[in-house]
Amino acid sequence: MNAPVIAIAGIVKHYRLGATDVPALKGIALTVPAGAFVAVRGPSGSGKSTLLNICGLIDDFDAGSYHLDGEDVAGLDETARTLIRRRRIGFVFQSYNLVPVMTVRENIEYPLLLAGLPPAERKRRIDAILDQVGLADLADRRPDLLSGGQRQRVAIARALVKEPALVIADEPTANLDTATAAQVIDLMRELGHRHGTTFLIATHDDRMTARCDQVRALVDGMLQ
Amino acid sequence: MKALRLAWRNILRNRRRSFVTVLIAALGTASLLVAGGFALYSYDALREGAAREFGHLTVAHPDYFERDEETPMQYGLADHQAVAATLAQDARVRRSLPRIALSGLISNGDKSMIFVGIGVDIRAEAEVRGPFLKLVAGALPAGDGATSVLLGADLARSLGARPGTSLTLLATTTAGSMNAIDVEVAGIVSTGWREMDKRLVYTGLATGQRLLATDRVSTLSVFLDRTDSTPAMLAAAAAGDSHHAYKPWWEQAFYYQSVRQLYNRIFGLLGIIIAALVFFSVANTLTMAVVERTREIGTLRALGALPAEIVAEFLREGALIGAVGTLLGMLLAAGVAQLVLGLDLQMPPPPGRSETYPLKVYVDAPLYAVVSCLIVLLCAVAAWFASRKAARKSIVAALGHV
Repeated sequence: MNAPVIAIAGIVKHYRLGATDVPALKGIALTVPAGAFVAVRGPSGSGKSTLLNICGLIDDFDAGSYHLDGEDVAGLDETARTLIRRRRIGFVFQSYNLVPVMTVRENIEYPLLLAGLPPAERKRRIDAILDQVGLADLADRRPDLLSGGQRQRVAIARALVKEPALVIADEPTANLDTATAAQVIDLMRELGHRHGTTFLIATHDDRMTARCDQVRALVDGMLQ
Repeated sequence: MKALRLAWRNILRNRRRSFVTVLIAALGTASLLVAGGFALYSYDALREGAAREFGHLTVAHPDYFERDEETPMQYGLADHQAVAATLAQDARVRRSLPRIALSGLISNGDKSMIFVGIGVDIRAEAEVRGPFLKLVAGALPAGDGATSVLLGADLARSLGARPGTSLTLLATTTAGSMNAIDVEVAGIVSTGWREMDKRLVYTGLATGQRLLATDRVSTLSVFLDRTDSTPAMLAAAAAGDSHHAYKPWWEQAFYYQSVRQLYNRIFGLLGIIIAALVFFSVANTLTMAVVERTREIGTLRALGALPAEIVAEFLREGALIGAVGTLLGMLLAAGVAQLVLGLDLQMPPPPGRSETYPLKVYVDAPLYAVVSCLIVLLCAVAAWFASRKAARKSIVAALGHV
């Protein structure tokens, strides 16, 4: 059994809407082992994105504990969380979120620049991941000249190029047609396996959940 | 380089908006440079005029500038020739002119008027005053001038005097008695100052001394090779001579000082207004860009960019807008300066003066450097102002921005 990349317990999160206190997560416990491909499914408003945001260290929580790759990350300040994200967490968004003024290569390079890798190492990693996602020929194109599937493959490459411990993917196939979604799922699965990366995915997509090692349902802020 | 290339691409995202912002920065820069270039020209012209009028340094009796004389020439210089000889050993000294200050009445036989005169080597005086003393009629006295004088244009008009006219000068001698000498008008001059031209009489030095019955002079005006040499020369001369008072030109150039103060305030205020326009224009452009790119900011933050790195990106964009704007502004200002020079435009006479003066705009490298740095800095600060909040916005909120 691999050591867990994500180990959270008793996670509680509330939002305030005016004077109303809205509970989003009600004491979540989740353990995700290294290299696992885990999906969280549930209806809109069930708290999937909130859970992923907390696991991705882009949102904080009101109570509970969180160990990322064995490190207690509860109560870290924003700078410390940013530096952890920079090195150890990748993101794949529903709308790809590529930077439109950057080429494919530059979008993929951005996390490596943040990580301070030398140019030769950056080039080696980018060339390798471009080959793996099948976009080597489109490396110098801007995102607006790519299809949705190609953009999502760039986003996957951007998430994986820094070889993170964890990739957070929020509805990664929601904007894709069936055939393209299947390709993207296969790609994520294959690359996750190859890089030994843990994937935590929020999805409605049955094709996606069918390919996951573990599927957890989230209903009204509680994991089933 | 990569970061600058990215900043440039971001600027080009909304070309029209960026173009307008660059244009405002360019016009702001050009306005500051043209106004500054005109101010520098004005300061330079006034400085040269003052230095040529008083001399770069004025040497006098220690009490000359401090006390009022009870009798004429009480604080005159008796040893001006020795002082001039000493100063002449310094390579920076181009010429020393002894001067005697005169005042009294000038008469054509029918009409008497008050005059304020200077007894001096008139030809040498005309040479050092250059364009600041204009001969409007007649000629400079030949040789030592004997009893030939130059009259201010307005004084000559009041007395109905022309070159060749005989006049009488009346003044109080050093002994307190009245003395009169007959003189002949050699030429009529204009200093450009109406009040001065109403009273001005130039006599030869010997004539002035004869009128006051003295062998002293009031002051020794020292002219240097360059106006910039004045502070160093003042320090050297004053340090080597404790028996005389040395006064630099700027302590006597009250008009220069007051114009400079006035211009500094006018152009300072203008500069603040222009800087504010540029600042708010760039801040507005980048605020719109920040709002449009809120989601992108959230993405970059999620990928591990620190708020400071997001702000740095916008700083580069602001600075780049400023750099392109200042580059265009400098070219525009230099073009305006050349155009003004080519058109030979004249400015109307300033208050108290009787003559127009040429409009010139200096293309001054330090001014260009300071203004361009200032504008670029201002644009960078505007970018910081526009982006600082968005860079610290909650990542979740930024990613959810529509």
